[in-house]
Formats: sequence, C-alpha cells, structure tokens
Amino acid sequence: MEPTRLPDNSSQRPGPERRYGAARAWLARAASVNWEMARDAAPVGAPVRGPAIPEAPAHRSAGAPMAEAWPTTYALAVFAVGALAAFVASRVLSPVWLLELQHVAALALFAVATNLLVGYGGLVSFGQAAYYGLGAYTIALAWLHFKAPFWPSFIATPLVGAVSAFAVGLVALRTRKLYFALLTLAFAQLFYTVAQQQYDITNGATGIFGVAVPAVLMDPQVGFFFVFVAAALAMLLLWKITVSPFGLTLRAIRENRARAQSVGVNVFRHELLAFVLAGAFSAFAGGLFIIHDQSAYPELLDWTKSGEPIFMLVLGGMNSFLGPALGALVYQISHEIIVQHLKDWQLVLGLVVLAIVLFMPDGIVGLFSAKRWRRWFARPQASGPNPG
Amino acid sequence: MAWPGKRRGTTHLGSVGLAVIMAAMLTGSGGSARAIAAETVAVALSTTLSGSIAELGRTGLRGIAMALEQINAQGGLLGKQIRLVSADDGAFPANGVSNVRHMILVDKAVAVFGPATSAVGTAVETVAGQYRLPVFFHMANDIQITTSNFTKYAFELVPNTVMEPRAIAYYFAENVAPKAGGKRIKIATITPNYSYGRDTVEVFLKTLKELKVDFEVAAQEFPQLGATDYTSYISALLAAHPDYVFAAIFGGDLITFTKQARGFNLEKQMKILGFYDQVALRVLGKDSPEGAIAWNRAPFWTENGPGFAKFLADYRARFHDAPSPWAITGYSAAQIWAYGVKKAGSFESDKVVAALSGATVPTIRGDITLRACDHQGEVPEFIGRVSAQTDPRYGQPIYSETVAVPASKTMLTCAEAQKRQP
Amino acid sequence: MSVESLAVELLSAMTTAGSLFIIAAGLTLVFGAMRIANIAHGSFYMYGAFLVSTIVSSFGGGAFWVSLVAAPLIVATLGMVVEVTVLRRVYDKDHLTQLLATYAVFLILADLAIRFWGAQSRAVPTPAILSGSMRLGAASFPVYDLFVVGAAAAIGLGLWILLRFTLLGWRILAAVEDSEMLAAKGTNVRLLYTMVFGLGALLAGFGGAVVAPLQSIDTGLDANIIVAAFIVVVIGGLGSVAGAAVGAMIVGLFQALGILWTPSWAPAYIYLAMIVVLEIRPSGLFGTAEMA
Repeated sequence: MEPTRLPDNSSQRPGPERRYGAARAWLARAASVNWEMARDAAPVGAPVRGPAIPEAPAHRSAGAPMAEAWPTTYALAVFAVGALAAFVASRVLSPVWLLELQHVAALALFAVATNLLVGYGGLVSFGQAAYYGLGAYTIALAWLHFKAPFWPSFIATPLVGAVSAFAVGLVALRTRKLYFALLTLAFAQLFYTVAQQQYDITNGATGIFGVAVPAVLMDPQVGFFFVFVAAALAMLLLWKITVSPFGLTLRAIRENRARAQSVGVNVFRHELLAFVLAGAFSAFAGGLFIIHDQSAYPELLDWTKSGEPIFMLVLGGMNSFLGPALGALVYQISHEIIVQHLKDWQLVLGLVVLAIVLFMPDGIVGLFSAKRWRRWFARPQASGPNPG
Repeated sequence: MAWPGKRRGTTHLGSVGLAVIMAAMLTGSGGSARAIAAETVAVALSTTLSGSIAELGRTGLRGIAMALEQINAQGGLLGKQIRLVSADDGAFPANGVSNVRHMILVDKAVAVFGPATSAVGTAVETVAGQYRLPVFFHMANDIQITTSNFTKYAFELVPNTVMEPRAIAYYFAENVAPKAGGKRIKIATITPNYSYGRDTVEVFLKTLKELKVDFEVAAQEFPQLGATDYTSYISALLAAHPDYVFAAIFGGDLITFTKQARGFNLEKQMKILGFYDQVALRVLGKDSPEGAIAWNRAPFWTENGPGFAKFLADYRARFHDAPSPWAITGYSAAQIWAYGVKKAGSFESDKVVAALSGATVPTIRGDITLRACDHQGEVPEFIGRVSAQTDPRYGQPIYSETVAVPASKTMLTCAEAQKRQP
Repeated sequence: MSVESLAVELLSAMTTAGSLFIIAAGLTLVFGAMRIANIAHGSFYMYGAFLVSTIVSSFGGGAFWVSLVAAPLIVATLGMVVEVTVLRRVYDKDHLTQLLATYAVFLILADLAIRFWGAQSRAVPTPAILSGSMRLGAASFPVYDLFVVGAAAAIGLGLWILLRFTLLGWRILAAVEDSEMLAAKGTNVRLLYTMVFGLGALLAGFGGAVVAPLQSIDTGLDANIIVAAFIVVVIGGLGSVAGAAVGAMIVGLFQALGILWTPSWAPAYIYLAMIVVLEIRPSGLFGTAEMA
C-alpha cells in the first residue's frame, strides 16, 4: 500500500481542529450508522474486531452528555485505586510475588502499547520485541560502555524506541497486513542478529548482566511500587492518546481505510505516529524490565518474544484498553505456576490460545463483559457457537 | 450497545478478577509448602528442559535426581527426605532467575543447582548470593562465576572457561606439536559467537603462545550459536588450508558441523580438535571423526570413583543410555552438597558453605577438592583421541586413549582469581 | 579466491536454496489457496526430520529411502488432521486470529515432539550411495548436497506439472483466484483445502526428511526454520511457487556470500534482503497486491 498523499491536505495545511473536523463528522456518522450496522450485520464467526469507539452516541441516554468529560476523571480514579492497591500489595505480598508482579507491570505496559497498533490501529506487528529489547539494551549498553548513570538512560528509552520505530515504520508501513507483520518481524530479527553477533559491542549471545540500578529500586517493595506506578502512568498517557482525536481517527482508519482517506485523513501519517508511539512505550517497558532484571540479552528481541504481547492482548481481550494488561498478569503468573509443576508449558499455552481464538475472541475481559452477562441472563437459549 | 456501559462493567469485574488472583498469591505463598516442609527439605534446580539444548538440562536433572533418590533411600539427610524442585528456564536468564527465586521463597529450597547455560548461570549465581543460599554449578562454567561475579555461596564443579582451553593447549603442546618436525603449525578456529566460544579460543591460543608452540592462525570463524548450515564456514576453513581446526562447538551444533564437514572431506585435509563428549559420539555413531582430538568434562569410561560402577549400571538400566557428562557432574554435585550438610550438621547456608570451602569431598568421580579462594572444584579435563569404531562394551564410539589434565596445571592461581573477584 | 572455492560456495548456496525451496513451496501454496500464513509449517518440517530418524534407527540405514516417502506421508496426514480440527474454523477470521491459531498449533506440536522423541539430539547417517564427495579441481563437494539440489528441482518440476496439467492443480489455481466461484461451480472447496494443506505439510515433511542426514535433529528445528521459510516466501511474493524458488536462491546466495565477506554480519543479510525487496516491491517479487 502506498503512503497516502492527499492533495488538499498538503497544499492547505489546515490546523488540527479543521483537519480532524471532517474525520470527526464522518466518525459520528460512521459510529451511529455503519458501526452498528457492521456489528449487527457481521456474520457469526466474523465479528468486528478491535476496541469499540468510545464517542459513539450512547443509545441509553445515561452519561451521554458527559461522554467527553467523565472518562478522564474515571481513568484517574482507576489509576488512583491501582496505585493504592499497589501500595497495599507492596506491604503485604511476599518478595517473590512482588518481583514477579514487577515483571508483570513491565510486560503489561508492553502489551497495552502493542495493542495501540493491533487493537486500535488494526496493524498486526510481529516485531514489537525489537523496541522492548532496545529499551533494555539502551540502559545496559550505556552502562557497559560509558558507565552511564541509570536515570538519564532510563529517561532516554522512549526516545530511542520512538526514533527506531520511526525509521522502521517509514519502511514497514508501506506494506499491508501479512507483509507488514512479516516485515516488522524481519526488522526485529535484524536487531536480534546484531545483538547476537556484534560480540564486541553487545557481548553477543551472553548478554549484559548486573546493570547498575539505583539501590533503592533493588528493594522489592520500593522497586515494585515504582515500576507499577511508572507503568500505570504510561498507560494513563496511552489511554489519553486513544481517546484523543488522533486515537479516534486511528480507529476510523482501521474500520474503513478508503473512507478515512476520502474524508481527508492522512492514513500513512496516522499509522506512522501510532507505530512510533507503540515503539516508544514498548521501549519504556523495556527500561522497566531492566529495573526488574538488571540484564539485557538477545532473546529479548527474538520473534518468540514479539509473540508474547500478542498472546497477552488476545488472552486478556484486545477490545478493551486494560484487557492486554490483565492478559499479561494471567500469562506471566500462569507461566510461573505451570513451569514449576508441569514441563509442558508450550502445550498448555497452545491449547489456551487455541481455545481463545476459536471460542472466545474477546479474551478474559469478554468473559466479564456486562453485555455477555446480560445476554446470558436475557436469552439463555441463544448461546450459539460464538458467545461474547 | 453503549460503549461506556460496557467499559464500566468490564473494568469493574476485571478488577474483581485481579483481586482474586492477588488473594490467591497471598495464600499460595505460604500454606502448602510449609505443610510439607516439616518432613522434607527442598533443593532447587532451574535448567533448560526445552528447545535445542534440552538434552543438557534433562540429563543433568537425571543425575541430580538419582543422587537424591539414593540419599533418600538411605534415610535422607539429618533425618529429612530431600525433595528436588525443578523447572524449565527455556535458556532465558529472566526465567532462570524467577524460577530460582520462586523455589527459594515459596518452596523454601535450601540449596540451588546451577542451570545449563552460562548466561543463566551468572544470573542464578547473583540471585543465590542475594538470598545467601549455596549454589552448585555442574554445567555452566563461565570464568565469571569464580571471578568477577563471585559470591562465597557459589561452587564451580566443572573446569571453567580458562581451565578447559588451557588443558587442551597443554595436551597439544606436549603430544601434538613435537610431531610437527620443527615446521610452523597452521591453526584455524571455529567457535560459536558468544562468551564461551570467544573466551575458549582466546585462552587456547594465548596458552599455546606461552608454551612456545610455533604456530600461526590461518582463519577464525564465529558462526551463530544454533546455526544449521555450516557449509560456507567449512569452505572458508578449507580455503585457509590449516593443519588443525580448533572447533569449540558443542551439542547439536557440533553434530551438524561434523556431518557437513564430512561431506567436504574436511577430515582428510586437517585434523579436528573438538568438544566430542560421549553424547556427541553416541549421536554421531560411525560418523564420528576418527582420530580427532577431543575433550570432555566427565567421560564415563574413565571415571572410577567409589560407587561409579553402580551408578553407571543403574543409569543404563533406567534410561537405556550411557550417562552424559552432565548426569555425572550432576550426581557428584548433589553428593557434594549432601557432604556439606552432614559435615555442618545443619542445612543452614553459612554453615554448609563453611564446611565445604577448602574441603576434599568423596564423590563418584573420586575426591574433589573445593579450593577455598574461589570455590573452584579441582577437577581434571579429559582429553583423548576419537575412535570411530563402536566400543562393544558401551555400544557407541569412545576415545582410544584418554588423558586427564589435572586442575593444578590449568587453574588460575588464587592470587589471579582473587584479583578479579569483587 | 580461487575458481574452485567460488564454485563450491555457489554450490553450497544452491544446497541451502534447495532445502529452503522445498519448505517454502508448501508454505506459499497453502497461503495462496487459503490465505493462511502457517507458522506450524516449521513443526511439520521438524516432524519430517524426527520421523526419518525414528524409521532409520529402527530399521537400519537402508530404510532411509522408505522413510523419505513414509515420513512426508505421515506428516501430510497430521497436517490434514490439523486442517480439519483447527484451520477450518478460522478461514473466515482476520489474519491475526489465523496467525495465532497456527502459532498455537506450533506450540502444541513442539511439546508433543519432546514427549514422543525425548530431548536428545539425533543424527541420521548419510545413505551409503550418497555419502561420498565429488572432486571439483582441487576442491571437493558432498554428493548428498547435490542430491538435495536435485530433490528441490524435482519438487519444483512436480509442482509445475501438478498446477499446470492436472485437474487438482487447476482447482488449486482457481481457488487462489476466486474460491467462491469455484464453490459455485460445484467443487468441494472444503475437501480441496484439506488436500492443499495436506500437500503443504507433505512438502514441509519432505523438506525435513531430505535435510535429516545433513544436520543434528533436535527440538529447536521448528523455530529455526520457520522464519527463514517466511522470508523466502515473502521475498518471492506470497502465493507464488516460482517466487519461492527465486526467493530461496536469493536467501541462499546472501547467506553464503555474507559469510564469505563479513562473517559477523552474515545472519543479518537475509533480513536486509527481505527489507530491500519489499521496499522496492511491497508485494514481493512475484506477488500481487491483493494477496496481502
């Protein structure tokens, strides 16, 4: 797919309000008519995927006038409750679980950031580990070669992720669908081979160990709380992005690309920005991983690592913002428990993923969704092959 | 369907689910483990049980498990039965760390056995150090374990990445170089591109130089770890026309290299020095390179400590296979820990470590002294010549002659080791 | 560099290309007909190699030739079981769901392989007639590698005949173009899909069987091969068998020359090749835009 070049946009350069104006107007229509139609008309087995559009005019009038205002308050409340829960957890949970949850928090951010592409943008990237790994390597290499202090390189991680994602996105976004998935994978493998082969720079397959992290973060309680809050803040920011005009347009592009183009949306630029943002947040998650593990090694960039956030977002449910985070929690904890008691982790994971893609496309969150329960209670006889 | 409504319901119930999981963690972290802990004591092993090096981890696990079964059958240690907790790390350092941490904190493990790969090894050493538990490395052998990453809780029970290449260099200088008839020897190297390969080849060449061997390096190749196609490397080696190729490749990679080299008649044009242990020779069978100089950390045909014959017979009866070096070193590692516990009269880490530091421990491999300054086990490296004929006693090829190069010749001096320690 | 060693390099590149082509042909065929990017294709390859090792170790070296036929047939059966139980349910889903479904099968088959065959490495001795090497001036080249190249050429020819001159082949090509039209004309598309998938698995199994004597057979083979196979298919253009042949040669050459010129960057070359090709032709060399 060619990058979109629209004559009216490039010549006039309207301000953001005007630029999004057309998209907005279309979105409102699309949401009220096409979206609902698409949902209702979608045949069983081919549900319309991806997070629903929040600004869809609520059919039940409750809350409709405040639709713009309340979500931020609500999100802040969720954040506050989460932070409080994390604080309590850091006091009561044993260190082994705190360290485990620290890893979960980093992975949760990684999965939520990946879902910006997969769920919101409809862009299935199979190479997001590149940015997660780069985040970790940024800190590790700066420490190894320059004995750089932790904080500056930690803060630089999203920047490194953004710049590399920009370069990759420029090339990869020229292709679509499966070619895009495989091209992002090729870039990630390229980074992987560099990390594995350039022994003099990266220590090769051995990786870099014992990266210096501020002593206070090494304490499981403080470390967990810090990583949790940092990941949660990043997710809050990501959430803000998903409900911004940009986020809405991204979803409009996913739903109907040609239509988005016809109302003057620069599809390529929006997708590139989404790719850059996902890269930046994934790299930040990689920086959080360094706090957890103090090491960086090539497997962090491998294609099987890129599969992890995809599993997590499908497991948790890509149709909701926090679904992938829940997926990360369930994935990582069950991995921890299963490898301790069973040898066949891959077998269990494979069966679970198969069950999810075949029978519950909305993931775990789908199980809890109000709609599902309502349908369950209202029409118990209507439990077809495709619930949720 | 209104979106906000759905969202509210979702997140609410989602957080309930989260709370349930957290509650499970709270209760899961105590209860069950403590109930068993009254009669049994746990030891931890996180190693690689899946993927291309699964065999290393799985046979090592067998050795440790067999030793502990033996101990349990004889009434256990200090009246307690020993329980081995094991898990797969998939060769990921982060998995190894979280496995071991889980075993220490949840299963209340009192000792740790080391993983298969060096990368996971250094990571596990650090965790064991943090929780002050003795850790025994019977596979991973990076020199960092006893030097720059050293903690007093770590014991290295196989020749490290300095000892092994030095031993090969000594053998080469004494048995091979004199036959060159004063001609300069051309050596090519091929080793996987990570610290084991890089360190091994560097120390090997450096030691040859120290031993005044007249040689030159004809070519150096560093293929990717886990490569499946060596043909281009092989033609590069052939083009360099060396007298010897030093192939510090191991496991499946070595088998692939050997088979592909055979097709190019490489063995007819140069002599191979390679990491052909019993596993590689069993897999290669008649394709084993006749006359190649091979090294090995624990060949079952020369080991003869007390109880080894019984172990060999038991192992073969049970697994229909000869024990790998890792099964043998794993068995002796468990014996060493048990000796420390008995000598200390306690499972307490510091007492066990103190009891073992500098001690000479009887094992199926004979007496092993654990040097006090860096906790390096004074174990020999075994070097020999591959005989491709199937040995009727074992049903697989072994070496035609096997020489043990003692640790005293190859170890760093205590002063050298301590200089590199933190 | 001498002429002989250059010839050896090129022949090695062709060997790599040959084994990659056999695997990639099946992958691209399945993609062309059903639009499924089958990650489990790597598992079928690994099962082919493991089955050969089992057959040879139980019946002796002479059984190699039997195993070269039997192993792919067993793998094809396994493939058809996977198609009927799993893939049939995801044909009308988006490509993320399809990728995940085949990835799930990949994971399941990986652990089942450890259950069946254990974790130890295996090796298959090269069959006696092909174990020698032939001379090329001062250099020598393994006969078995020539056999691999020959096998790849035979597979290519066979596929060309199948797709060009047989009813089944015409139906497969018709399914690539427009499966609904084909169904309307009375073809049992379901059965056709099962057969195409079985054929794909057969080719993967054959690829694994052919390379079995060339390398150590262990439980990481599946993940190792699948990325390379995808790169070949993408370079050639998804769905194009001729593209897979060209893609395999490009990858084989890049790998060989990479090791020759800058060894430490060699593994990166195939990814660079893919990136460059897709930058110039976003649908691969022989692909069409709507295939993506």
